[in-house]
Amino acid sequence: MQAWLEKIGKMFQMAFIDGDRWKLYIEGLGVTLEIAFFAAILGLAIGTVVALMKLSVTRNGKKTIWAHLAGIYIDIIRGTPSVLQLLIMWFIIMKSCTNGTLVAVLSFGINSGAYVAEIVRAGILAVDKGQTEAGRSLGLSKAQTMGYIVIPQAIKNVLPPIGNEFIVLLKETAIVGYVSLTDLTRAANQITSRTYEAFMPLIGAAVIYFTIIKILTVLLEKLERRLRKSDNR
Amino acid sequence: MIIVKDLHKKFEDNHVLRGVNYHIKQGEKIVVVGPSGSGKSTFLRCLNLLEMPTGGEIWFDGQNITDPKINIDKVRQHMGMVFQNFNLFNNYTIMDNITLAPVKLKLMSKEEASENALKLLDRVGLKEKADAYPSQLSGGQKQRIAIVRSLAMNPKVMLFDEPTSALDPEMVGEVLEVMKDLADSGMTMVVVTHEMGFAREVGTKVVFMDEGIIMEENTPNEFFNNPQSPRLQEFLSKVL
Repeated sequence: MQAWLEKIGKMFQMAFIDGDRWKLYIEGLGVTLEIAFFAAILGLAIGTVVALMKLSVTRNGKKTIWAHLAGIYIDIIRGTPSVLQLLIMWFIIMKSCTNGTLVAVLSFGINSGAYVAEIVRAGILAVDKGQTEAGRSLGLSKAQTMGYIVIPQAIKNVLPPIGNEFIVLLKETAIVGYVSLTDLTRAANQITSRTYEAFMPLIGAAVIYFTIIKILTVLLEKLERRLRKSDNR
Repeated sequence: MIIVKDLHKKFEDNHVLRGVNYHIKQGEKIVVVGPSGSGKSTFLRCLNLLEMPTGGEIWFDGQNITDPKINIDKVRQHMGMVFQNFNLFNNYTIMDNITLAPVKLKLMSKEEASENALKLLDRVGLKEKADAYPSQLSGGQKQRIAIVRSLAMNPKVMLFDEPTSALDPEMVGEVLEVMKDLADSGMTMVVVTHEMGFAREVGTKVVFMDEGIIMEENTPNEFFNNPQSPRLQEFLSKVL
């Protein structure tokens, strides 16, 4: 028992204390959060615009050219692995850019946008058509009806799946090691290869991811409850 | 006020309106009845272009509103509509439901709109509900609010699409009461309904639609006591 505890202590020392290695996890986490945060914002913006594009119809109820373009974008993004998208962005599209973080944010943002677009579209479609008809019948324009009536109600619908998408996105950033960025996962991996001891760094990184996502989950639940309260149901 | 010329509406293969012609004059209360699937709701929804006609013309106040160049939002500001399912905005209070359109369309200031809304709410006996949300109201109350919301735009004509069909029986009366009141005030109204009592009492003309056309039209008295076409005779024998 004594020996076992000692061994654990030594592993911990190696993984976190020696050579101030704990700093590497913190720095890695910083990179992970930075990319995830800005990619989430970009994804939300792209997703909302693309959802509105995909829902757009002409006066005669036919799909617009914008709707077709949105469909193509979503098909391409969902039809290819995100690692590959990241590599294509890094080695081909933004070959001359040396800012890896920027490339990662763009790549993940564009990727997430496709999924967010479908979530937002579903959220808008879930709002009763009568709400739109009532708005339009009062003389409000399409945009006004969307902005004042439909979207505020759609936000409540989309909050749970959007939270889900953010969580997926945060974890998905673990692949940025492919474009030589040192995020939390890569930091843990590097420490493993330096100490020849995998257990502590990998489990440690897992615990950090878990904690961050748990905090995010609690915050999202709070927000959801607050929005429901204004329903006064 | 509204002239409908050879109106057609097709949903893919389903030819719902097959050439409707009608002339609605200022101050008239037109009640449209007919079996389900006869196209009466579609006809009403074409009048403010919630359904885009596939043929024919609709003239409102001297302009052809089926012309693609017309700004339909402007036209709709003058045509109120009340729906079967009320369609109050769930995310706003009753007060905001009523003032949203006049304020956002810059027709009234916030204060004017609120004052006007309270006056209208008082008229339908729901002044104390101004700060409630739609989910806190009964069906009859919701429909009275929906009527008020349309009236807040000072429309020239009010369209009613089966306004009492989704109500519990004991709430039908309170809504019809408000509609009668409105009719007495001189509003031009087009009402699709199954309430034959209302048609008889309030209508200046009753229109019978079947198979996508207007089959018969007459004053309430003639319409109910002396129906001409066999289809109408059959229909009346079922509903009366």
